[in-house]
Amino acid sequence: MSLGASNPEYVNARVRSRRASLFADEDYRKLIRMGPSEIARFMEETEYEREINALGTRFSGVDLIEYALNRNLAKHFDDLLDWSEGRLYDLVSRYLRKFDVMNLKTVIRGIYTETDPEEVQTDLIRAGELDNRTIDRLLEVDTIEDAIEVVSGTIFYESLSAAHEEYEETGALVPLENALDREFYEHLLEDVSRPPGRTQPQEGPEARYIEFLQAEIDFRNARNALRLARSGADLDPAAYYIEGGVLFDASDLNRLVGDYDALVDHIAENKRYGDRLSGALGRLREADSLIQFEHALDAALLQYADTLSSIYPASVSAVLSYILAKEREVENIRAIARGREVGLSESEIEEELVIL
Amino acid sequence: MIEALDIVLQNGEAMSPEAAENLSVGYAEAAAAIAVGLAALAAGYAERGIGAAAVGAIAEDDDMFVPGLIMTVLPETLVILALVVVFIVG
Repeated sequence: MSLGASNPEYVNARVRSRRASLFADEDYRKLIRMGPSEIARFMEETEYEREINALGTRFSGVDLIEYALNRNLAKHFDDLLDWSEGRLYDLVSRYLRKFDVMNLKTVIRGIYTETDPEEVQTDLIRAGELDNRTIDRLLEVDTIEDAIEVVSGTIFYESLSAAHEEYEETGALVPLENALDREFYEHLLEDVSRPPGRTQPQEGPEARYIEFLQAEIDFRNARNALRLARSGADLDPAAYYIEGGVLFDASDLNRLVGDYDALVDHIAENKRYGDRLSGALGRLREADSLIQFEHALDAALLQYADTLSSIYPASVSAVLSYILAKEREVENIRAIARGREVGLSESEIEEELVIL
Repeated sequence: MIEALDIVLQNGEAMSPEAAENLSVGYAEAAAAIAVGLAALAAGYAERGIGAAAVGAIAEDDDMFVPGLIMTVLPETLVILALVVVFIVG
């Protein structure tokens, strides 16, 4: 944990300004009608200009859009970590470690499938806490064992080396990836929800931050449960259960997997989410596909973060709401570009978008 | 006021009325100075947050310079109001 004064005012002012320059819903409607190269040109006139220009010579079409989006995302999130100090840095970096997890997974998969490091490199989103040097060293190693050695000293080391034994026995990547996810979510709430020697804060921005993260964990659990149920795979839901949420405990999850309506009812009955998400829950009930369900969850989380950031203007909530909104923008543009590439119709693409 | 001071000071030597008056004026001015000083401190603290936010806004958008500047100096009114105390007392 870093010490020293934090500077929420400064970060908030910058974040809110950037938030305002994100694409509006009308822009998405415009984008839906464009082809990949038109989208790239449209992006060139917005704040993606630098990335599109830098990558324009090497890639084209949807790849160009995708890499430009990733690079822009990484740039903005790196900025967030640059700006914030003290407690704020601590809270923001906890959340952005998500990208460390993503990068480590990509690298490990790259090593597993013996993909060319150059290709792996373009897929990385350098937005997390791992610095560029560590990531470059990760790209140079040839075995998973060496990769784990490179991240020694980070929070991922211990669980990765434990999972590595299992990997050597089974030869499947799942234990390693689960170890990464678990480590991320466990550290997300560490110290904050139960600070040493104190009880969990009930009031103020910190309490809401915890609530937000718990919501994220809850939704992640709900999502995993549904995916498991839909895929029909004979897997133990408890193995994928992430602790720290308030919505489910492990036995709830076992019971609710496979019963869609009961699961939605379970969320609606919860007093924390029931009222706030009534609109989204209505959509959840109607949603017949898993994708719509997941998008409704995303939209609900985004709305929740927005509410928090207007209740507590000078706290970490505005940063979180920006992170979510930016991710949503990147995912939406990617969905549009990929959708156009494979020739989906406009209404089909629209279903893929998360629009509030 | 002067009587009260006399009582306070009775354990010492009795004070001439002029000396007592000088003393009370001195106390009043010291009180005014503390009031202004505290107000300036509070204004400074308020400006810390606003200034940080203003610099952030200006970094994103140069047009925010003038609004940022105005917002930043708003808490200075605290000090100006506190200055009134000096004139009332003095």
